[in-house]
Amino acid sequence: MDSLHIGSYTFSSRLILGTGKFSSPGVMLEAVKASGTQLVTVALRRFNREQPGDDLFTPLTSIPGITLMPNTSGASTAAEAVQAARIARELSGSPFIKVEIHPNPQHLMPDPIETYEASKILAKEGFLVMPYIPADPVLAKRLEEAGCVSVMPLGSAIGSGQGLATAEMLKIIIRESTIPVIVDAGLRSPSEAALAMEMGCDAVLVNSAVAVAGNPPVMAEAFAEAVAAGRKAFAAGIMEKSGIAVATSPLTSFLGTEA
Amino acid sequence: MSQMITIQVNGESFTLPAGSSVSNLLASIGSEQESVATVVNDQIVRPDNRASFRLKKGDRVEILIFAGGG
Repeated sequence: MDSLHIGSYTFSSRLILGTGKFSSPGVMLEAVKASGTQLVTVALRRFNREQPGDDLFTPLTSIPGITLMPNTSGASTAAEAVQAARIARELSGSPFIKVEIHPNPQHLMPDPIETYEASKILAKEGFLVMPYIPADPVLAKRLEEAGCVSVMPLGSAIGSGQGLATAEMLKIIIRESTIPVIVDAGLRSPSEAALAMEMGCDAVLVNSAVAVAGNPPVMAEAFAEAVAAGRKAFAAGIMEKSGIAVATSPLTSFLGTEA
Repeated sequence: MSQMITIQVNGESFTLPAGSSVSNLLASIGSEQESVATVVNDQIVRPDNRASFRLKKGDRVEILIFAGGG
């Protein structure tokens, strides 16, 4: 069984699904089930008396085999992210935390300095820290050394659908990392998820591409199949590119000709 | 009539009887059925401690849930 190991956890699915931006909780839950995902992200929000049905903890955790990975979205400093992580752990009962610190809502690029500081503190506190980061191989290595269980570099800006704009940097991160590398953010279509997996990513995290699809549960299933196919191709060993043609049929002994 | 105190709940003023606990607060705003995290003045109050944790005038309470997020 080709499983994904993160910390002491083992997952058979390599698709992580975000739960934001869906048209309704019901559609989101259908997509989660259709995706076969075992790890989903959630965000901390203030309880609103006017909308008591917003809480996703109970419906998500009633799906068999689901582990929650809260994020620290909304934090713009390490201190805020650390506090959010501690609160989230009380609620989730899960050691996973997606450290997500983006100070600028215009581009949502992760702050590498605050992300590093928060990740270091949380790893020491026993969290399974999965930081959302720019596709920077040096930062990825520093986070690995700080005790993170995974790094999650962006393919492109959150929700942009620009795909694997950082592909060359991702390849370096994959080559250098000894912890799972998960492409998080920017994927638009299943083919991009398959490509990420063929490049050697250990998993992908998808949210917008599923949430805003015409039919989110079907798109979730399509991503799951693409991720599985890409992983299988990577494991099988993909052929090298060649600058010249290499025949697949014999070019000699054709009819009457002699080589 | 018991004395009332004013606290901040999720950034808004809220009045409740003096001596109320975090559990009393959750019941009075209708969130006792929800899975919530409670934080008073930046200190996390675990579910086991909510009944005994008494709120004081001016306390800042945050009541948080898990919502959709990526």
